[in-house]
Amino acid sequence: MKYKKISTYSYNLHIIKTNKFKTVTVQVNFKRKLKKEEITYRNMIVNMLCESNSIYPSKRLMTIQTENLYDLGYRGMNYISGKYNVMNFAATFLNEDYTEKGLLDESIKFLSDLIFKPNIERKRNEISFNNDNFELAYNLLKDNIISQKENPDAYSKTRMLEYLEPNSCHSYRSVGYLEDLEKIDSKKLYKYYESILNSDILDIFVIGNINERHIKKVIENNFSNIKTFKKPSESHFITPKKHRLIPKVVREQQKINQSKLVIGYKIDKMTNFELRYVLTVYSYILGGGPDSKLFKTVREDNSLCYYISSVTYPLNSIMTIRAGINKKDFKKTISLIKKEIINMRKGRFTDDDIIKAKITYINSLKELEDSQDSLISLYAGIEYLGSDNLDNRFKKINKVTKEDVIKLASKIHLDTIYLLEGEDNEEE
Amino acid sequence: MKKSSLEKLDLELYEETLDNGLRVFIVPKENVNGIYATFSTKFGSIETEFVPNNKKKMIKVPLGVAHFLEHKMFEQKDDIDPFTFYSERGCDSNANTSNTKTTYLFSGANSFAENINYLLDYVQEPYFTDENVEKEKGIIEQEINMYDDDPFFKMYDGIIYNSFIKHPIKYPIAGTVKSVKSTTKEDLYNCYNTFYHPSNMFLVITGNVDPKETINLIKINQEKKKFDKFTGIETKVYDEPNKVEKKQETTTMDIEISKFGIGYKIDCSKIDKPIADIKTYISLLFDLKLGSTSIINEKLKELNLITHDVDYTILNTDKHILVIVVVETNETKKVQELIEEELKDLTISEEDLERKKRVRKSGCIYRSDSIYSINNKIMNNIINYNKVILDDYKKIDSLNIKDMQKIIKHINLDNKTVYIINKS
Repeated sequence: MKYKKISTYSYNLHIIKTNKFKTVTVQVNFKRKLKKEEITYRNMIVNMLCESNSIYPSKRLMTIQTENLYDLGYRGMNYISGKYNVMNFAATFLNEDYTEKGLLDESIKFLSDLIFKPNIERKRNEISFNNDNFELAYNLLKDNIISQKENPDAYSKTRMLEYLEPNSCHSYRSVGYLEDLEKIDSKKLYKYYESILNSDILDIFVIGNINERHIKKVIENNFSNIKTFKKPSESHFITPKKHRLIPKVVREQQKINQSKLVIGYKIDKMTNFELRYVLTVYSYILGGGPDSKLFKTVREDNSLCYYISSVTYPLNSIMTIRAGINKKDFKKTISLIKKEIINMRKGRFTDDDIIKAKITYINSLKELEDSQDSLISLYAGIEYLGSDNLDNRFKKINKVTKEDVIKLASKIHLDTIYLLEGEDNEEE
Repeated sequence: MKKSSLEKLDLELYEETLDNGLRVFIVPKENVNGIYATFSTKFGSIETEFVPNNKKKMIKVPLGVAHFLEHKMFEQKDDIDPFTFYSERGCDSNANTSNTKTTYLFSGANSFAENINYLLDYVQEPYFTDENVEKEKGIIEQEINMYDDDPFFKMYDGIIYNSFIKHPIKYPIAGTVKSVKSTTKEDLYNCYNTFYHPSNMFLVITGNVDPKETINLIKINQEKKKFDKFTGIETKVYDEPNKVEKKQETTTMDIEISKFGIGYKIDCSKIDKPIADIKTYISLLFDLKLGSTSIINEKLKELNLITHDVDYTILNTDKHILVIVVVETNETKKVQELIEEELKDLTISEEDLERKKRVRKSGCIYRSDSIYSINNKIMNNIINYNKVILDDYKKIDSLNIKDMQKIIKHINLDNKTVYIINKS
């Protein structure tokens, strides 16, 4: 595997050459500082561009073309990464060895057309997106926004983060807001689209068994529309606010069988080493998998749930614990979780637990090389978050000691307890 | 060990049947770090009435017992359980149950020899007690509750339940809260002793392994163990009628967009082809008629009746295929009418069929990059054909419009059940 970063006037091109895969993936990332009112705009842009364009005026025609391109897969998404909002478009397609000569160029052109050739209308020098396409993208986003509640698991997490720290970056919903959507029209949206092309920070990743020089040329030809003068990126990391001294407890009701418990913790300022490595080890031991403290105690010993896990958000200095339980077991579950948090602080775990966490992390690094998406995320992490490269990760994870974990444990504080309360259906 | 190549995929398949009946399939892939191993029994949720091994009388076990048994295999007599074992080696482990099989698996880049031995050992050493069976009930109950809150799961379950009359595919894989509560240690042992005999199981390993060393490890492990004589498994044969149990059901849930599904129950007993092949044709047909490249899907969006593509999924028993079409819309009646109107004409063009064939062939190549997809393909082949299909490419190439038309003639889309979930 060979990695090369080529910086141009307006974007960074990251080329990862590897002969491991029969496919090539091209991912185009646009990012800018996160603003709540822009999230909905960015989701609308993703829908607009992925649903149709001036060459393929409907999703059906677009999909037929992907099938002609030997089932090229494309996707667009908008996500929040700490202080930044990242919107990306990606295409994965078969290497020419498995299709026909010229298909690589054609596939990259498909992606570039998707981004740069939207279906637009001109009226008296004013440009807007095509109204029919706009309607379709609008309705799709509207449905995505209103149907969040239909996934109680994800919805309960969203609600907890909103209570944890209202009006902060981590409380924002990455899907967007209905009240913002209602204010968008196709003219405003087109203006926003132009501003993306003119001022977002752009990174392009290409991975596969490719010829570096050829790729460089194809990308140059296809991405000449980018006018942005490349600006340096700032840190994505958010400086944490202090945790509540008395934790907030919120219970909301929904007509579901299983209640969803989500607990939010805030973490005091961590060192670089802590947030990249010690936190990984801590969370693995506490609630990282079926061998974790929480799984053993809450599920195996007390049969209170089917799933329970802890997840960390190093960019935001937050940790969450989630479980699906019966409403009547709320108090018992909380007290068992609290005990495990205390056990971590008091060092009631073994060196073996630490070794397990390290081996798991190291194995996941090894397997990361088996997937194109993971490799792109790796280099995006190095570019955006200043993450270490693989060699350094292998070295640094091994330096984590039990003392490090105990020290970090004392920085983790309970802040918010959220229960999406269902109706227990006891059949006794 | 028999060696064959998987056509056009740059992969070799090694296979061998051991003396005790266990079948082993290995696909080495040197350019990855990971290894994925699955150990499966042809025992799924539909086997609820059978003659236990070395007994004579047919018994009936509670619904969901295959899934319950899967949970309990993770209980070991000594302290260390599979989750801990694999976690100590930095590897993932899990298990899952479908209608037709139960699979135990691990994946990881480390300690392969230990891992494979342990996989065989823990699955071949059950330890069920009254206490540990009792303890599991609360956990499975929460699992069932979790699925019940998902409108799509609820709809699939509802449609399958209303489509079948006698066949146990009717019931959810995990059973019901009631059937789980009634499950005993004896039920689990009856199932285990019958369906977990090596003759009813198969092992599939994909990834960075040496096939010869691997097969030797497995042989040494198996030669040490003794198994009862295997007399074959007699399971109940269900004379499933062609009609559906219930034609329509409507319910409400706390959701934002109403949904409906149509289950088309298709009798395949008169079509002279393996049911898995018929399934391929029917899947192509529904893809072309209702999928993301269909005219009706586009029309429904333009009319602002749907925003997400019409979705469909297919399952089968030995005799029937059930196609489930699912739509999210607040205009359930109107959309249902439009879809049914569209399905009155099932003709498709040669050009469209050829394009979909290209998609399927490309899919084979995409999947050949992933040790997980290769492994799944082999497992599915064993369940559906009892052998590995080496020439998927050729098989796709041979799909043709004539056979499609023959199959279409047997399809009666009036034989259906409709399930509507209205928003409250």
